[in-house]
Amino acid sequence: MWEQTKRTFLEAVERVIQGIARMLPSVLGMLILVLLSTLLALLVRALVRRVCTRLDVDRRLREWGVAAPAQAGRTPPSRLAERLAGWTIVVMGFVVGLNILESAATSELALRLLGYVPHVLVALLILVAGMAVSRAVERGILIGAVNMGLHSARLLALGARWLLLIVTGAMALEHLGIGGTILTTSFAIVFGGIVLALSLAFGLGSREFVARSLERRLSEPGEKPASPPPERTHHL
Amino acid sequence: MPEPEKTAATTPSVALRGPFLVAVQGSLDQAVATARPLAGRIRARFPSVEPVVLVADLRGGEAILVPPEDAQRDGGSRGRQPLLPPASQGAIPGQASPLGPALRESLARQAIGLAIVAAEPRDDEVGWLEQLLEPVVEAGFDFVCPAYRRQRTDGAINTGIVAPLLRTLYGQALRQPLGTEVALSGTLARRLLEDGDWRRRPAEAGSDAWLVAKTLGSDARIAQVWLGSWPRPSGDPEAPSETLTRALDLVFLEMARDAARWQRTGPSRPVPSFGPAGFEPGGSRLDPARMIEAFTLGLRDLRPVWDLVLPPAALLALQRTAARPSDGFELPDDLWARVVYDFAVAHMTRAVERGQLLRSLTPLYMGWLAGLARDAQRLDDRAFEDRLDAVGSAFEREKRYLIGRWRWPDDFNP
Repeated sequence: MWEQTKRTFLEAVERVIQGIARMLPSVLGMLILVLLSTLLALLVRALVRRVCTRLDVDRRLREWGVAAPAQAGRTPPSRLAERLAGWTIVVMGFVVGLNILESAATSELALRLLGYVPHVLVALLILVAGMAVSRAVERGILIGAVNMGLHSARLLALGARWLLLIVTGAMALEHLGIGGTILTTSFAIVFGGIVLALSLAFGLGSREFVARSLERRLSEPGEKPASPPPERTHHL
Repeated sequence: MPEPEKTAATTPSVALRGPFLVAVQGSLDQAVATARPLAGRIRARFPSVEPVVLVADLRGGEAILVPPEDAQRDGGSRGRQPLLPPASQGAIPGQASPLGPALRESLARQAIGLAIVAAEPRDDEVGWLEQLLEPVVEAGFDFVCPAYRRQRTDGAINTGIVAPLLRTLYGQALRQPLGTEVALSGTLARRLLEDGDWRRRPAEAGSDAWLVAKTLGSDARIAQVWLGSWPRPSGDPEAPSETLTRALDLVFLEMARDAARWQRTGPSRPVPSFGPAGFEPGGSRLDPARMIEAFTLGLRDLRPVWDLVLPPAALLALQRTAARPSDGFELPDDLWARVVYDFAVAHMTRAVERGQLLRSLTPLYMGWLAGLARDAQRLDDRAFEDRLDAVGSAFEREKRYLIGRWRWPDDFNP
């Protein structure tokens, strides 16, 4: 019996070792691929860093209000872009490496992941661009509204920024295929509601102004307007 | 500052002989109507001068000079459209300015001098054209900058920012430095035309800010002449934020270009001045209360932008100013000078996008203007003249602050 047990055990170990031996080349191939992609990621990071330095990306983003002023401990946008580019290469290398394992399940998983990565990247790009534009627009609207003497300048600017962020988020989610028609419909309802509310507010609030304008236009040619327009100053 | 000379040049010279180019800028009808009598007036006053009067036209986005009859003929076929921005408004960008074509035309004709005048209606009691040309033709000056009688708070950007700033940078005190009207000698015209900026910086070369900065930074003989009432352009005036952006963008660009020079200039000296100075009757049309409101609104809502431009000491001083009661409200001239300098530095370092930066200066400008408007209503002409001079003196006192900030822009330790 002892001999039987010993033989069974040795056969099992031999099967495991043979299984490992069969898989070892695939695993080694995958590790080599990950190593190569890591080296490629370092190269891409250096390239992105060089391009960002040449284009002075950090200063331009700060100038437009997209990025906060440089402070100790705060990661500049170019460094974030560098890290994102590097990690994307590493992750894609890992996903391609899964394909080498020659397992049906892992191959299918790898293919589906690979197909999804471009969507994720584009969605990230849309989000980043949307956030950048929303900040620049917020600052521009804030300054313009303050110069017009509007007391709700901050509210207007914040509203414009969040409106742009919502649009951007909806675009990114649609690109990722999350939510489907529910997301599109919800967004249309919310956005349409906001526009309708603004139109009503503007229309109801400017009734008197329109009435006065019409009255002035339709008055007799010989009649003088109720009050002459004030003379304005030339500042230069 | 000592009184400017109100006499002719100390070295009287013989009247120049030869062609004198006059370029008229404005809407088509007015430019042609203005141009017609000018040649006769010049011949009558300056017999040694051969007048050449041309009208500045805008074709293909660039200014060219044409005889009045050609402009009228071509303009009739194109329809009566305005040729260029209102001439007397000032701060004209380089491309829309007739200065470049006028310089080239004056060189081609070997002109003894060149003048650019606005085609706006004006009262002619002071013989404005003759006053403008006389320092060049008979007194040997190279650059004649006009000044006008205006309401006390009119043109406050010119008198409250540009004039004191240029006085500090270049050491010469012109009252209203920005404006399209000017008279130049042929010598200065040739020197300006040879400047490399026409190739290196075509967008800025030819603007009135460029012209004034180049001239003040050279050894040209400069004079100022009072031409009576300001030829007010027709149409509504621009919003102050737009005017600030347009004018200061040009001025700050010249300031950055010439930084090595202005950091070495000494105290200012007066510029020879001709003609009776003064103001239009009436104190000010401006409402200080509205301007104070604009200032406090800006202080409340634009702090995120001003934090990137102004040091903490300036922000604290502004808050203290806002806390004052309306009848005692005043933005001190020293603080105003430092604020202008901080914005100039931020413009140079591009701490904020330049258009947004200069627009965000508007509430601060309104705050300072509120104090000036109040003074305009209570002071007489002489006292208000001293008030404007005090602004220039404040800018000069704060020059060391400007140099420090300019050399070490990241250091917020005034």
